[in-house]
Amino acid sequence: MHGKDPMVVLKTEYSRGGRNSATVRMKLKSLIANFNTEVVFKADDKMDQIVLDKKECTYSYFADPMYVWMDTEFNQYEVENENMGDSLNYLEDGMSAEVVFYDGKAISVELPTSVVREITWTEPAVKGDTSGKVLKPAKISTGFDINVPIFVAQGDKVEIDTRTAEYRKRV
Amino acid sequence: MDNHGDLGVCWRLSCQLAARGHQVHLHVDDASVLQWMAPQGCAGVQVMNWPTDDTVINASALPDVVIEAFGCELPLGYQATMGRASTPPVWVNLEYFSAEDAALRNHGLPSPVMSGPAKGLTKWFFYPGLSPQSGGVLGPGVDGRVNSVHEHEQLSLQRDKISWPTKPPRISLFCYEPASLGLWLQQLHEQTPAVHLTVTAGRATQAVRHALQAWQLPPSFEVSELPYLSHPEFDQLLAAQDLNLVRGEDSLVRAIWAGQAFLWQIYPQDDGAHWPKLQAFLKATQAPTVVVQAHLAWNADQPTALPALTPAHWAQWSAWALTLRRRLQAETDLLTRLESFVAAHG
Repeated sequence: MHGKDPMVVLKTEYSRGGRNSATVRMKLKSLIANFNTEVVFKADDKMDQIVLDKKECTYSYFADPMYVWMDTEFNQYEVENENMGDSLNYLEDGMSAEVVFYDGKAISVELPTSVVREITWTEPAVKGDTSGKVLKPAKISTGFDINVPIFVAQGDKVEIDTRTAEYRKRV
Repeated sequence: MDNHGDLGVCWRLSCQLAARGHQVHLHVDDASVLQWMAPQGCAGVQVMNWPTDDTVINASALPDVVIEAFGCELPLGYQATMGRASTPPVWVNLEYFSAEDAALRNHGLPSPVMSGPAKGLTKWFFYPGLSPQSGGVLGPGVDGRVNSVHEHEQLSLQRDKISWPTKPPRISLFCYEPASLGLWLQQLHEQTPAVHLTVTAGRATQAVRHALQAWQLPPSFEVSELPYLSHPEFDQLLAAQDLNLVRGEDSLVRAIWAGQAFLWQIYPQDDGAHWPKLQAFLKATQAPTVVVQAHLAWNADQPTALPALTPAHWAQWSAWALTLRRRLQAETDLLTRLESFVAAHG
C-alpha cells in the first residue's frame, strides 16, 4: 500500500550506497487509479506485509494487452501486460507461476525462484575454465539476455535464478 | 557519527544554513570532536545531544525541516512526534556523495514511511553529487556560495596556473590505512627525495609511522605531523599544498575547492562495493589516465605502485583538478539546491 492506494511493483533496482548501506528503487503502478510512481527505500526499511491471495496457474496465451493464465479448474485470469514485470523475461507456453490477487482481481505474477530454459543463442562453447566464473552473453527464447559460463552451448538447458537473472547450472 | 567526515559535512552544512538565516539544531551522539574541528562554534547553530528513543519531544519543538544524515535513524520518540504533527516537517534523507547513475535515479525520490511511529509520512532522498541533476556539493564560502569566501579561499580560487613545483613538492596526507602507503612513501623518497609530507592527526599519523618503520625509510624523509585541525585550518592546509591526499567526503569536496591536484581514498566497503563508486567518480570527472591509475593504486587492497610524479603527470593531474573546480564553480551549490528542494516539497 502506498498511502491508501494498493500498488503493484513493476520494477526494482537494488544499489549499494555509502558505508555499507543499500537502497531499493521501485516503480509502482496503482491498482485502482491510473498512475505510476517511483519511490526509494533503504534496504532495511520495514513494511507491513499485505496478505494477498495467490493461486498456482499455468500460462495459456496472450490477448493484447492481457496475459491469460489458467488454474487447475480451468478458470482463466487475465494479468495486464504492464503488471507482468520480470516474468515476461521467462515466459513460455504452459509455464507455471502463482497469480497474485488483490480484492479478487489478478494483479501480478510470481515466478518460482528458478526456471529451466534453453539457450537459443550464445557464442560457441569453449572448454577449459570449469569454474563457471568466466562468463559470456547468451539469450533464451524470449530474447532475454543472461550471462552463462563459457562451456555452455547453444541448445543447452540451464537453470536460471529468476530473482537475480543469474545462471545457476546446466541441466 | 562514524568517522570525522560525517560530522564534518553536517557541521559545514549547519553553518552554511545558519549563514543564510536559518536556525539550526545539530543533533549528534558525540560532539567532542567539535572541540577541535570547530572550536569557535557557529552563530545560529545549536549543538544538541542525540535524543534517545524514549525522549519525548514536544510538537512545538519540531522544526520546519528535518535532515536525517548518513543513515542515522531518527529516534523513535522524535518520529512519533513527527507522525502526530498536524503539519509534519519536510523530512530529508541526506545520502552519501555519489557519482553513480543509480544515485542520480534515486535523487529526489520520495520514500514513504511504511511502518513505525512515523508511518504515513514521506522522507525525501537527497544525494550530493557532481551532476547538475544531483544534489550538488557544499560550496566553499561561509554560506556555501562561491562568491562569499574567506581570503585564503579567495587566493585558492584565483589560482589558475599549473606549474611543476620549483621548491620541494608539498604534500598533505589525510587517509585511512591504504595498503599502498609504504610503497608510495618509498616511491616519493626515490623520486623526489626532498618532498615535504604533512600528515593529519589520528589514523593517518599512525599509518605513516607504521609504514616508515616497516619500510625503514631514512630520517631525511621529512614528515610533519599535525595536531587536529579546525575546518578553516584544514582548508588553509589544502590550499597551501601542491598535492592533497584526502579521504571520505568532506575533505574530498574541500580538496576540489582548493584547486590543487588531489588523490581520493574512498571509504572501503565490504565485498568491494566501493569500487564502482570510485570508478563512477573518475568517469564523471573525466580523469586522465595518470589520475585513474593513481586512484586505483591508492585504493588497492594490496601494495600497488602509483604513477611517478613527473612534470607531465603533474600537469595532467593539476589540470584535471582545476577543470573540476571550474565546473563546480559554474553550478549551484548543495545548499541552494536543498533550499529549492525543500521549498518545492514543503
